[in-house]
Amino acid sequence: MAKGDTVLDRIIEHLDLPSETTRRGFLRVNLRTAAALPVLGALAAGSTKSPLIILDNAEGLVVADTTRCVGCKRCETACTEFNEGRAQPSLARIKVSRNYNFGPRGQQAGMFRGMGEFGNFRVVQDTCKQCPHPVPCATACPHSAIVLEPKTKARMVDQNKCVGCRMCQVACPWEMMTFDESAGKASKCFLCNGAPECVQACTTGALRYVSWRDLSKAIPIRRGAFPVTRDYKSAGCGNCHSIGKL
Amino acid sequence: MPTYGGWTGKTLRVNLSSGKISTEDTIAKYKDYLGGKGVGYRVLWDEVPAGTKGFDEANKIIMGVGPLTGTSAPSSGRTSITTIFPTSYPWELVAAGHMGGHWGAELKYAGWDNVIIEGKSEKPVYIAIVDSKVEIRDASHLWGNGIYRATASICQEMGPETQVAAIGQAGENLVRLSVVNNAYSHSAGGVGAVFGSKKLKAVAVRGTGAVRIAADKQEWKKLTRYALSIMGANNNNVVPSTRQPWAEYFAPMSRWTARKGLYWGAADPPVETGECLPEDLNRIGMRTMKATYDMGPLAEKYTVRMGGCSSCPIRCHSHVEVPQMEEKYGLSRYAASTCTRLTAGTSGFIESYPEGRNGLAAVEANIVAEHMLDDYGIWDNYHQLSRDFNYICRSGLAKSRLSADEYKSIPWEKREKGDPSFLQDIYRRIAFREGELGSVLGEGSGLMAKLWNFPEAYFNDMRVDLWKMGHPRHHANEEVGQTGVLVNMNYNANIMCHSHRNFITCGLPTNVLQTLGEKLWGPGAVDAPRNYTPMNEAKARFAVWSLLRDELHDSLTLCNWMYPLASSPLKSRNYEGDNAIESKLYSLVTGDKKDVAELDLVAERIFNLHRALTVRDMNTSDMRSKHDTIPDYVFDDPQVGFGGGPEGRRTPPSGPPPKPFTPGTARMDRADMEVGKDMYYETLGWDKKTGSPTRATLEKLGLKDVADKLAQMRLLPA
Repeated sequence: MAKGDTVLDRIIEHLDLPSETTRRGFLRVNLRTAAALPVLGALAAGSTKSPLIILDNAEGLVVADTTRCVGCKRCETACTEFNEGRAQPSLARIKVSRNYNFGPRGQQAGMFRGMGEFGNFRVVQDTCKQCPHPVPCATACPHSAIVLEPKTKARMVDQNKCVGCRMCQVACPWEMMTFDESAGKASKCFLCNGAPECVQACTTGALRYVSWRDLSKAIPIRRGAFPVTRDYKSAGCGNCHSIGKL
Repeated sequence: MPTYGGWTGKTLRVNLSSGKISTEDTIAKYKDYLGGKGVGYRVLWDEVPAGTKGFDEANKIIMGVGPLTGTSAPSSGRTSITTIFPTSYPWELVAAGHMGGHWGAELKYAGWDNVIIEGKSEKPVYIAIVDSKVEIRDASHLWGNGIYRATASICQEMGPETQVAAIGQAGENLVRLSVVNNAYSHSAGGVGAVFGSKKLKAVAVRGTGAVRIAADKQEWKKLTRYALSIMGANNNNVVPSTRQPWAEYFAPMSRWTARKGLYWGAADPPVETGECLPEDLNRIGMRTMKATYDMGPLAEKYTVRMGGCSSCPIRCHSHVEVPQMEEKYGLSRYAASTCTRLTAGTSGFIESYPEGRNGLAAVEANIVAEHMLDDYGIWDNYHQLSRDFNYICRSGLAKSRLSADEYKSIPWEKREKGDPSFLQDIYRRIAFREGELGSVLGEGSGLMAKLWNFPEAYFNDMRVDLWKMGHPRHHANEEVGQTGVLVNMNYNANIMCHSHRNFITCGLPTNVLQTLGEKLWGPGAVDAPRNYTPMNEAKARFAVWSLLRDELHDSLTLCNWMYPLASSPLKSRNYEGDNAIESKLYSLVTGDKKDVAELDLVAERIFNLHRALTVRDMNTSDMRSKHDTIPDYVFDDPQVGFGGGPEGRRTPPSGPPPKPFTPGTARMDRADMEVGKDMYYETLGWDKKTGSPTRATLEKLGLKDVADKLAQMRLLPA
């Protein structure tokens, strides 16, 4: 990979770190866990002790073609059956059921004039955008429990760190966080290590796993999110953005 | 007690008389009956007194799903609604209406396997289920509204993800031919008015819980993909309808209609159905383009997409957008359904349309019919309703039985012209029981024939196509010879059994079917179409298999319009399906390992319980001559087998009527069919003389209590 190709490259460059070693070191650690971020912060000589909250862009994402969706919801059951061993659409990390009857805007959009099965028949499959920095769910997490999945760099919930506070649910403008009520933990799309079950299960090819692109600016949000950033984290913004050292 | 996957373990009981809501243990009480119809029959046997009528307070409604419902087991989204049927005549007897859609899966996610509804409310109510929280809520604001409005209102109260099974005005007004409907276009026939009699507008469900899979998740995934790999298109048609480079065979009547150049024309932008290779599981949902199959080529440009039930890879519900519906008829431009809804407009109410059966007026008529039936909640009874209307028109009975004023109030000129708005007038009369015509049509064929004193000719009229007891012929001798006749004898409402039909009409040539059939039922089970041979034991086994699998599907639940998967689209398997697929799915989901024979035995238990209920409620063990009757036209009508509805009827060949067992006819022979009954009863271990279950058979199936009760009532054969 040529220098300057990735967000990380640019950051490293920007921080003016001794590049090769640091870059490899960062990547090595980072691939294991996003706890690597404070490490990078510490590596930046003279920087603040606040963690860096930036996450590298994901490698891929699931895109949905609403004209091909036939509403069988096999994506939802595949998501939880082949990951958790149980059928539970409320836990699915792709979301069709909530749009099935009346579409993303609900009944306020009218019935025959709205979307969904009771409207114009368009069924919208909501998928995680694997947002670029600043990643709303990860930034909001007070416990830095939303980390990179090593293979795809999908943002995933580290179940050991998650305490079930639901701040990530409040933060996602697309309402893509799910919550496993029985475990008391949050969950989200982690791209099934590069072979998304929903895509495999789609009966009409309406879902595709493709190279990442930024959909966070292209797909309408479901609601105005509640941006939450803990003080010690927002202090970390200063690693790149503050009027301090950089 | 062992814990099983699949079942949630809880059955809900709601008493509308007392308002009591209680919970029962599914496993302890009902596991031997799986779910769906099986549990329904058991509850009716245990709790509903013999001779109870459909609208009696003592009648109960069992809305049952099964261990597979809500999982990725393909086509498992169905619900059985079992009750004493008000359309069955002259005895009101046990039967079940079945619906697909999304209600059944939602019920499982809410944590329930069955809902038993008993008693009668004094004022309109609906049952609201949100996970473990269940309420009986006031429905006075919903009463009088159609299903669309009722569903929307309940979703406002319970949230947009709620699945609502509701009745329309027809059910409220105790129109016997009425439905319960969910998910816009999925309805269970014959049970709407039973809801209405209990002042129950709807059962609405929202579930956020889980259905546990007992097996290892990778093993389960492998099995679901295997099941998908051996499925065909709708009705398990396993070859395409047009010649395709990849296909060894094709069959014009196949529902595998996707092809290059055929589009969902009203999708935005249009989507090509295209080539759907059997191995491509990510195109399996494109195989069945049903809109053009049901309504002809004109429907292509109106098709938005296909749709259907939860978990089903086969999308048999056409979703169309016909803009002029608003201006011309005041109806929504968006309509969805499958046969028979989207063919109801061309099934007899109006005899012909200006541009024929596939012309614009005919397409619009089907859309009008769909909206009327699905919103008012009228049951078309497999087009029996329209064929009966057609009969009273052409026989002159409409004119002679109706008052001059009422007759004049009917817009006959619209019927003559082929104007679809005629249907709006007629369906309104039925839903609101307007006048003599509206009242009598909605009673169903049996009671209607009695009330209007129909001549004997009605019952033997092939164009009427009635089988018996108010229900129509449904895939009988015209398609599957004696096996079809035997299958048609058994139920007390529209038989809704497709096991035999799915196999015979899957599109494979006769010699391939014969090879597959011989493995399953022995040599001679399968004849060439309309070139039948005399009865043999293999055909009896084929009939028993068809019925037992139907019971199994409506209890697990799986869709009997797809299963059993006796054939597959795979040349590499010599087109063999997998006769054990149901037991494989059941074993992995529940963890209760049963092979195909063991699960078929459960189906046999369920089927025997159905038979015992019929014996009990008819108060005779003589099923053979009192219940298992066969209409004369099966033996006598020279045209038998040449199609049903007025326009679909083909002209019979000229010359003298062909004899049974000669090429080209579906005519059956009386003596041969008596041999058929002998063999069929024997296969089931039933008494040959009466066609009733024997003590030995009932005890073998773990139904000793049923045998004891029948013996006590003197209804057990000697």
